[in-house]
Amino acid sequence: MLSVGTFVLISIIKIVIALIVLLTAVAYTVWLERKVVGHIQNRWGPTRVGPFGLLQPLADGVKFIFKEDLTSPHVYRPLYIAAPMISLIFALTSIAVIPVGNWVTVGGIHTPLQITDVNMGLLIVLGITSMGVYGVALAGWSSNSKYSLLGGLRASAQMVSYEVSLGLSLIGVLIMAGSFSLRDIVDAQGGAYWHVIPRWNIFQGQIFAFFIYLTAAFAETNRIPFDLPEAETELVAGYHTEYSAMKFAMFFMAEYANMITVACLASLLFLGGWHGPLFGPAWLQAILPLFWFALRIFGFLFVYIWVRGTLPRFRYDQLMAFGWKVLLPLAIANLMITGLIVALKS
Amino acid sequence: MIAREMFEEFKARFGPLIDRADLPSDRRLYVFVDRSAVKYVCQHIFRELDARYVITIGADDRPFSGKFLVAHNFAFDKDHLLCSVLTQLPADDPKIDSITEMVPAASWAEREMRDLVGIEPVGHRYLKRLVLPDGWPENNHPLRKDVPWNAVPVEFDPDREFSFDEPPEGCTVVPFGPFHPTLDEPAHFRLYVEGEMVRGCEYRGFMVHRGIEKLAESVMSYNDIPMLAERICGICGCVHNVAYVQAVEEAAALKPPPRAEYIRTIMLELERLHSHLLWTGLACHILGFDTLFMQSFRIREPIMWIAEKISGNRKTYALCVIGGVRWNITPEVKTELRQTLDKLETEWRAVVSAVSKDRNIQKRTWGVGVADKDLVKEAGLIGPVARAAGVDIDCRRDHPYAAYDRVEFDVITEQGGDVWSRLLVRMKEVFESIRIIRQCLDKMEVGPLQLQISDELPIGRMGLSSVEAPRGESHHFVITGENNRPRRWRVRAPTYQNLQAVPRMIKDQQIADMTISLGSIDPCFSCTDRLETIDLRSGVTRVWSQEELLKLTRAKKV
Repeated sequence: MLSVGTFVLISIIKIVIALIVLLTAVAYTVWLERKVVGHIQNRWGPTRVGPFGLLQPLADGVKFIFKEDLTSPHVYRPLYIAAPMISLIFALTSIAVIPVGNWVTVGGIHTPLQITDVNMGLLIVLGITSMGVYGVALAGWSSNSKYSLLGGLRASAQMVSYEVSLGLSLIGVLIMAGSFSLRDIVDAQGGAYWHVIPRWNIFQGQIFAFFIYLTAAFAETNRIPFDLPEAETELVAGYHTEYSAMKFAMFFMAEYANMITVACLASLLFLGGWHGPLFGPAWLQAILPLFWFALRIFGFLFVYIWVRGTLPRFRYDQLMAFGWKVLLPLAIANLMITGLIVALKS
Repeated sequence: MIAREMFEEFKARFGPLIDRADLPSDRRLYVFVDRSAVKYVCQHIFRELDARYVITIGADDRPFSGKFLVAHNFAFDKDHLLCSVLTQLPADDPKIDSITEMVPAASWAEREMRDLVGIEPVGHRYLKRLVLPDGWPENNHPLRKDVPWNAVPVEFDPDREFSFDEPPEGCTVVPFGPFHPTLDEPAHFRLYVEGEMVRGCEYRGFMVHRGIEKLAESVMSYNDIPMLAERICGICGCVHNVAYVQAVEEAAALKPPPRAEYIRTIMLELERLHSHLLWTGLACHILGFDTLFMQSFRIREPIMWIAEKISGNRKTYALCVIGGVRWNITPEVKTELRQTLDKLETEWRAVVSAVSKDRNIQKRTWGVGVADKDLVKEAGLIGPVARAAGVDIDCRRDHPYAAYDRVEFDVITEQGGDVWSRLLVRMKEVFESIRIIRQCLDKMEVGPLQLQISDELPIGRMGLSSVEAPRGESHHFVITGENNRPRRWRVRAPTYQNLQAVPRMIKDQQIADMTISLGSIDPCFSCTDRLETIDLRSGVTRVWSQEELLKLTRAKKV
């Protein structure tokens, strides 16, 4: 067992590293998005700051800090200020339970590559991300502006509805793994059939659930084609119409952090987590899982961005109808079939 | 029916109430009627003869005839005839029966006439100010000849806020504009919403009044005005340029040389090409589909380059003078233009086949912003909006001008009357435009570009010109005058009519559909605003006065 001191120290180190990596990932997801969408749309994306515009996220960060922080006189200040913080805090917190690799031993200390390994990991992620809705809803309400209110209402309705399908699409995986612990779920996906097809959940009959999850995740993170809460052509900027400078940046970061969380979950639950071919010397074998995991996340984010460049926006009522009338029944059907198969097998 | 037969028919029906008529050609009819009969003549024309309402013009004719003049213009599209019903009003009693009751499309034009010329449309039910700001004094009518073009009345209060109507019970007001991401131009819609449903709206526009018509009538000369006219619109400026010149040419009975007519046709079609491509892009942007927005602009760019090669400018071609054009199309440009068109055709075909199969775009546009045949008739809708509702009108074919009578093309119509149909109409019209330009290039003969005009243009003659802009018919009315300038020049941009139907089109739809419904008429607010008041923007609702704002900006600089 670790002493209390070592435990605290290791935890702090892990938190700091996780936060730095996450925030950098957020910044460069934005960069990636601007580049990829730019090329899809016959543009260059950022090119001016650094090679390939690689320093653009830094420039943006500096810009956000120095921007004038406007607060309209008609807002309800306490909630107006708290809302972006709520959004960002919950977006960042969920990373705490997400494992990025196996246990490692550094300097005689055996520790998981995860801030904290709880056996209810998935529940915690779902719980925390649902709390993020409060940020959006409160922002819309406290801004005291009609565009914000409409945006906030749409956002909360949308996020709450799609969370149902999102949650249901995951239950199939849970049934198969028999555990809520993200680590256990990943471990259950190790190995391959006939040394060719990996035993990832999407190859174990959960491919259907994966696409339900993918669709619900787009809605959950308010991305095109489901970015109605901030549909600029209708509602100016939706719930963050009245926000500027760092307050706006917090919503912005929260959105991308949520995207990454969703991508992490997709990799862990459906795509086999960090499993992948291991080769080479020991140090390489230690790093490769991290790389495979990052690659999956990158792939998932790329799909996100690709879709943004390809699809037009839905209309609000169409979106809600799709969520309740199509996605939810599909998720339930998937759950029932999975349950049946698992029951018959045992 | 040609003009003479039409006149005979009026004469037979209304007898002594018809004063006299002017028939410059088979395709034009100016009929002067007695003040008491205007209403009935218009009703007869609009309802029984099924003409299309174009515009109402009020003019101050007191310095010349001692009277006010009102003209109601109608178009008989199937008969290729433009008809103007004119009435003279005594100087001391400028009142005329309103025709809005019978011809709903006349509502704005009559309100404008009251604002600017001070002719009272008696019986109009909604005489709210349309053009002048609310702070403008009641008795000052800028387009009257005794009001100097550069005078601001002392009583004018620029800080006076708009007075708005009460929203219906149970509705919330959502302001839309003048500053809004999808409104690139200033206009204010007050949407009355119930939840996400729009139940009605009030429009307040005319915020970028620049006094163009007054300026033209007061200080400019015939050949200055085309350059001013094309500045009415940044997208379809050439349309106004050509329409004005044609109206003057018609009034003065001038016929430009054939090569000039072909060049006008080519430039007008180039303008339609770039305008339709721009619109398709913007419509996709409104639907949240920025990729096609960017691709449309990429495809559109070579058209701008070729326009620059011809005229020296991407837009605002400065093409026409009275009796001709200023730019030639050289053999090199001709070859390049053909290549540009070939490339455009291929690329556009790819876009059209992608968009016309896209289920998501269909879902967003089917049954949205519907303007059916009835609304087209009642509100006088024109252009792609009318054609998308199955109303087969197109000035290029119905009232041919320039070289359109020498080329073949199809008028594209759809039946849905919704945004989707408008999208299809515009996308297909691109191919027709390409076809027209190719024919022009083939048929264009060598010859002079301009007429040699040595005499002064005749005075007091009237000219009408309808030009099919990308957005619909753009109508210009000119009365020639002294000092080498027109006495009266009235522009009716297509959006002027189409915008009036927007409240009907968006009623009982979601807010989300508002932008694309409005966008689908391809609105051009500043064209609509153009107009005659004097270098002052109308008083928009605002916290800061103009002076305070100026002070504020100056203070920041220090």
